[in-house]
Amino acid sequence: MNAPTIQSPATANSPAASPRTDERTTAEPSVPILTMDHVHYAYAKGGRPIIRDLSREFHECTVTAIVGPSGSGKTTTLSLLSGLTTPTTGRILYRGADLAKLDRYRYRSHDVGVIFQSFNLLPALTVAENITLSMEASGVRFDQPKRDIVARLLERVRLPKEYMNERILHLSGGEQQRVAIARALSYNPGIILADEPTGNLDMATQNDIMAIFRSLAHDEGKCVIIVTHSPQVAEQSDEVFTLPKRR
Amino acid sequence: MFILRNAWRSILRNKVRNILIAVIVAVIAAAATIALSIRDAAQTARDEGLASTTVTATIGVDRDSLIQNMDTEDMADGTMSGTPDFDELRDAIAVDSLTLEQYDHYADIASVPVSTYYTEQASLNGSDELQPVETSSSEQSESSDDSGTESADAASGTPGFPGGMGGMGGDFSFQSGDFLLTGFSSDTAVANAANGSFTMQDGQVFGYDEADAGDAIITTALASFNGLEVGDEITLTDPDDESTTYTLTIVGIYDNTATQNNGMGSMMGAGMDPDNAIYTSVATLEALGLASSDGSDAAGSQLSYTYVLSSAEDYETFADEVQREGLDDGYVVSSTDVEQYESSLVPLENLSSFALTMLLIILAVGAAVLIVINLFNIRERRYEVGVLLAIGIRKAKVAAQFVLELLIVTMIGIALGVAAGAAASVPVTNQLLADQVSQQQSQSESVQSQFGREADIPGLPDMGDLNMEDFAGVEAPPTGGFGGGFQQAVDYIDEINATVNPTVIGQLVLIGLALTLLSSLAGLTSIVRYEPLRILADRS
Repeated sequence: MNAPTIQSPATANSPAASPRTDERTTAEPSVPILTMDHVHYAYAKGGRPIIRDLSREFHECTVTAIVGPSGSGKTTTLSLLSGLTTPTTGRILYRGADLAKLDRYRYRSHDVGVIFQSFNLLPALTVAENITLSMEASGVRFDQPKRDIVARLLERVRLPKEYMNERILHLSGGEQQRVAIARALSYNPGIILADEPTGNLDMATQNDIMAIFRSLAHDEGKCVIIVTHSPQVAEQSDEVFTLPKRR
Repeated sequence: MFILRNAWRSILRNKVRNILIAVIVAVIAAAATIALSIRDAAQTARDEGLASTTVTATIGVDRDSLIQNMDTEDMADGTMSGTPDFDELRDAIAVDSLTLEQYDHYADIASVPVSTYYTEQASLNGSDELQPVETSSSEQSESSDDSGTESADAASGTPGFPGGMGGMGGDFSFQSGDFLLTGFSSDTAVANAANGSFTMQDGQVFGYDEADAGDAIITTALASFNGLEVGDEITLTDPDDESTTYTLTIVGIYDNTATQNNGMGSMMGAGMDPDNAIYTSVATLEALGLASSDGSDAAGSQLSYTYVLSSAEDYETFADEVQREGLDDGYVVSSTDVEQYESSLVPLENLSSFALTMLLIILAVGAAVLIVINLFNIRERRYEVGVLLAIGIRKAKVAAQFVLELLIVTMIGIALGVAAGAAASVPVTNQLLADQVSQQQSQSESVQSQFGREADIPGLPDMGDLNMEDFAGVEAPPTGGFGGGFQQAVDYIDEINATVNPTVIGQLVLIGLALTLLSSLAGLTSIVRYEPLRILADRS
C-alpha cells in the first residue's frame, strides 16, 4: 500500500499555501485518493440492495458533495468510504489499494477523519480529551505537546481556548460540530468525510463550516467529501456526486 | 501504555461505579480470606499437629472382620441354618494375640524409625497374708474406709458399661483374679502404664534385668491395707491352682497420679482395681513362668505390645507396611493418639467444610453480582465502544482496556479485602471455632441426657470432663492406654492461628483474576461482536 506521508501538524494549522492550491481548477492529480469501483451494498447477503453499481473517483484538493434523495444510500456510501464496512461486491480503492484488504482500523485511525452526523464524541470526556484520544489512537508521532496542537485546532475551528477542559455535554450542537471537526483534523488525515455537517446549523455557521472545509481542500490538499441534502452546501463544493434514487 | 492510560482515566471518570465494584470485591475478598485462612489453618493443624509428636500404635484383633469372614465362609458351606452358630462364632473370634516374636518382627521390617515397649499381665489371687483392696462388691471383705481408695469411693458413680473396648484394639479377656500383675519391658512402658502415671512414695521402680527379677512395686492403698513396707515379700497364688504360689519382693510403693473413677474395680473384680495393680518387670514374669511366651494361658497372661513412632505420617507408613508384610485380616493396626487427635480436629474440620461452603457461595454470588454490574456497564458504554471502534481503535485494545479497568478496580478491592480479612480472620475464626466446639459439646450433652450416660455413638465425641478452661490445644495426651473407649476427654482444638500467608494471597489474586475474566466475558463478547457500522445507528 502507499503509506500516506504525514504532514507535520504544524502545517495543518498554518494557512501556508500548498502548491496544489493553484492546481485545483486547472489540473487534478492523476491517481485518485479514493475510488468506488462498481460498488454494491446490501445489509444482508442477497438482501435488498442499498447501493447498486456505484463508481466514482475522489481526488485530493477537492470538496465533493454527495447528494441524493432520502434512502438513496448517502450515509451507507459514507460508511463504505470511511472503512466502517465493506462493499458486498465491487471495491473501494484507497490510493489504488483495495480497502477490504487493508487494515481498516489503521485506515480509520490514521488516514481518514470522519465527522459523524451525531458527532460521536464521548460525552464524559472534555473537549481536549476527545481530541487527544484520536491523536493517540492514530499512532502518529507529534513533535509538539498535544495540548498545544489542540489549542491551535480549536482556534482553527473558531472555538475559544477555554473550551479545552469543558465536557462535551456542556457544549451546544454547533460547538460539538466544531470539536468533531477539530478531532477529525487532529492527526492530519488525507481524507475528511463529513455526514450532514451543517444539518442543525444556522446559515452563518453553515457558511463558516464550509469555509473551513474548502480551506482544508484548497490550502492543504485534502480530499473532503461531504454527505448533504443542503443545496447551499452542494453549491459551495467543487464537485457534486448525485446518488440515483433507489428503485 | 495507551490502553493503561485510557483505562486509568476511565476509572477516575467513573468513580462512583468503580468504588461500588471495589467495595463489593473487598467484601468478597474479606470473606474469602477468612474462609481460605480457616481451611489453611485446618490443613496445617492436620498436617503438623502430629508431625512432631510421637504416636503410639498397637496391633489388635478386629472382631468385626473375623465375624464377617466367617459368615461368608459359612454361607459358602451352606451350613447356615437361621440362627447363628454361636459356638462357631466364638471359635472364629478366638484368635490368639500375636506373639512377642511376631510383634518384634513387624517392628524390624518397618522402614520408619520405630521403638517398642510392651507389658505382660497376669491375673493372680492373693494369699492369706495379702488381700486385695475391695469394697462391698466382694463378700469376703468388709466395707473399707480406706481414705486412699478414692477410686473405690467413686465406684458407683458411673452406671452401666460404656463399652468401646475396641478403642484399645486389644484382645482383653477379663480375668477374675484379685490382683493384676503387670510386667513392663522398659521405663517407657512404665511411663505409659495403663493406670496412668504415678509417683513413688517409697523405694524406687524395679530394674528390667534378670538380676532384678522378683522385684515389684505396689500402691500405697494396697500397702496400707495389708500393712506392707518396702523390703517385705508378698505371695500370690494361681487363680486356678491355689497350690501354685509366686513370691515377689516389694521394692517400692507408688501412688497413682490420676485416680481412676470408672468403677471398673467393682464391676469386674478386684483385679481390675488400679489399687490392686502390682507392677514388675517382664523379666519377673518370665522368671515366674507367667509370661505369654511360656504358654501359661491358664494364668491369663496377656501381652500388650506398643509401637512408638515419631509422627502420624510414620504411623501411616508403618500401618501400610505391616499390612503388606502379611498381617492377617483379623488384626488391625490402630493408634489411639491419631484417633484422639482426629476427634480433637472435629470442630476444626466442621468449620473447614463450612468455610468451603461459604467460600463457594461467596464466590458464586460475587461472580453473579460482578457479571451483572459488568453487563450493565458494557451496555451503558456501548456507545463508547462504538466511538472507540469508529475512530479506529482495535477491538482487542478496547476489550483490553475494559478488562484492565475492571482488573485494577478488582485488585484494589482485593487488597482492601485481604487487609480487612486478615485483621478479622483470627478473631472471627476463633469465634466460629468456639461456636463449633460448644455445639459439639451440647450435642454430647443432649445425647448424654437422652441416655443418662455416655452413649457409644461412633463419631460423637465423648464428653468426659470436658472443660473450656482445660483446653491445651493440640498436645492432648491420652489419659491412659486403657481408657481408649472410656472416659476420654477430647481436647478440641479451640484456637487456631488463622493468619493470611502468601499462599492465601496468591489464591485470592487468582480468584480475583478468574472473577474479573469471568465477569468481563459477557462484556468482551459484546465488544467483539460489535459492528463498527452500528455507531451510525447508535446516535444519541
